Amino acid sequence: MLLALAWRNLWRQKMRTALSLLSMALASAILVFMLSFQLGVYDTMKGNALRIFDGFAQIQPPGYQDDPDIKKVIDNPDALVRAALKIPGIDAATERATGFVILANGEQSYGGAVVGVDPKNEPGVTSLAAAVHDGRYLRPGDSDVIVMGSVLARNLNLKLGDRVTLIGSGLDGSVAADSLRLVGLFHTGMADLDRQIAEMPLARFKDTFAMGRAANVVALAGPSLDGVDAALPALRSLAAGNGLTVADWRALEPAIDQGITLDFSTGILFYVSLVVVVVFIILNTLLMSVLERTREFGMLLAVGMRPGKIGVMVWYELIFLAVLGNAIGIVLGGGLALYFQIQGIAFAGMEAMMAQYGLPDRLYPALSPTSVLAGPLVIVVSVMIAGLVPYRRIGALKPVAAMGAA
Amino acid sequence: MQILPSLSSSPAARRAARTAIVLAASLLGTALAEAQDATAILRSAFDNWRAKSSTATIEMVIHRPAWQRSMTMLSWTEGHNKSLARFTAPAKDAGNATLTIGGQTYVFNPKLNQVIKIPASTMAQSWMGSDFSYNDLSKSEDLLSEYTHKITSTARSGGHKIYVIEAIPKPGAPVVWGKIEARVRDDGVFVKETFFDQDLKPVRVMSADKIAALGGRAYPVVLTMRQSNKANQWTRITTTKAAFDVSQPSYLFTKSNLQNPRD
Repeated sequence: MLLALAWRNLWRQKMRTALSLLSMALASAILVFMLSFQLGVYDTMKGNALRIFDGFAQIQPPGYQDDPDIKKVIDNPDALVRAALKIPGIDAATERATGFVILANGEQSYGGAVVGVDPKNEPGVTSLAAAVHDGRYLRPGDSDVIVMGSVLARNLNLKLGDRVTLIGSGLDGSVAADSLRLVGLFHTGMADLDRQIAEMPLARFKDTFAMGRAANVVALAGPSLDGVDAALPALRSLAAGNGLTVADWRALEPAIDQGITLDFSTGILFYVSLVVVVVFIILNTLLMSVLERTREFGMLLAVGMRPGKIGVMVWYELIFLAVLGNAIGIVLGGGLALYFQIQGIAFAGMEAMMAQYGLPDRLYPALSPTSVLAGPLVIVVSVMIAGLVPYRRIGALKPVAAMGAA
Repeated sequence: MQILPSLSSSPAARRAARTAIVLAASLLGTALAEAQDATAILRSAFDNWRAKSSTATIEMVIHRPAWQRSMTMLSWTEGHNKSLARFTAPAKDAGNATLTIGGQTYVFNPKLNQVIKIPASTMAQSWMGSDFSYNDLSKSEDLLSEYTHKITSTARSGGHKIYVIEAIPKPGAPVVWGKIEARVRDDGVFVKETFFDQDLKPVRVMSADKIAALGGRAYPVVLTMRQSNKANQWTRITTTKAAFDVSQPSYLFTKSNLQNPRD
């Protein structure tokens, strides 16, 4: 009965209701779209940046992340790879070893990191192979070959097919030196990778650096980052059983994690001010209407309706307004997000900046229950709380005085 | 400070310098004199440590928690910026050599049969897997030229007076350390050197574990470099044979000799 009354009251002032609905719908549409976009970009950013080199998680010797010393090793990497693959959420695992070396071509020399990778398993974990724009990536059966970042190769004056020498320190402390043929150049847009990283076949690496069967890390990937994150407890117990640790994506790419946190906090500021403004607009309209309807409420009181019930009725009106407005907003914002989720949004002229964060040329929003419901839910709840103000006001009305009001 | 001894000025020049300092002290007052005194003591330590030139046989032990390895090298130095070290043992590392000339460092690897210049960006990295860096080889003079020196205290040990000298980098000096504290014996022997980072926390300590007569002078025969924050990790260099102020052939400190030794 109160609900029906509230619903009918809402449409007595069609224009006002429509305007209130519109402002609410627009605000929630913006929230839904922005949140979908932001979260979508974060996902792409994390996914791409991790996919290119790190993997979604790594099993490492203790302390390796802070001080990646070749002497911190995993003794049984192949068994660990097999065990990791049995964990749900993980669909690729590969062992790696990294040495910090001096790469030289004649008089030119540069410091860099050479990573020994397993050409068979590595492409399942990382997408560096796809970033090779000149030549080819490592293949199973390769021996004395190397691929490196395009900037590193340019600094060393190297062309495809040239020989490059590397000299560093092996696991046993002896001098590790090798001469390899450059077969591929990759360009990722991430300065650190393009300038400092080279990859060579793991078997050859282990030979050159006197590693025996040991490796430095096991890099992992799965169909989704969330899936790998969900598998972390299982991974941690596997690692702990071998005296090792797990570095999750936040540990592997702290800069991206911090960037996202920073970006999201400024985003939150924007969202909060949007919600506050909208809630105050609605509240203002409602207070006006309550003042306007003082006579009507006085009448209702006079015919015996209790003040509480009138308050609840007005509160219902408000909730109808909020739910309806946000429903429209979800349809609008969600529809827009869905459209761009398929089409993508291009940002002309920002490709280089975006590449640094591992982003592609086009960005895609991603609809998810969180991105769709979080914004509207906050608005509805805020409106419900704000609605207590008119409710209290009505409670204080006296029938005769109210009927006498303008 | 550097592992391979080199250069000096003559004893006469040293005496002249000391005389000059005494004069300066009486003229300019104690503070300035003390700074110069500290510098003079450091310089005499460098002069004792190196000579005009040197030829030495050095054993280097690298100790890590999990293992330890021992290497042997022949070393030649001339002046303060020329040095050559050629490893003779173990077999796996024999033939590797490091040459420092004119601020540049080159390494030779027999497997590659190639000379590689050490890029500036990697000069701070470990030399031959030890606790010394390439910078330690080529930039030891920095302690004299890039720092201001002050005697903070003196001590007595084994019948010698020991000066504790605090070295602070000059403003804008291209050095990695925030402070170096050197302990020098009154006969010009380095006893201990502590390297501090920019937050003035000790990073590594080099100490003379044995001082004995070698090549006609008191010499820190056994030196150990310890990393302060890494337990059980050190590098010890023992000079088993040395001759000072010998004349070195001119071809010695060249890249071609690095690659194709004449001797």
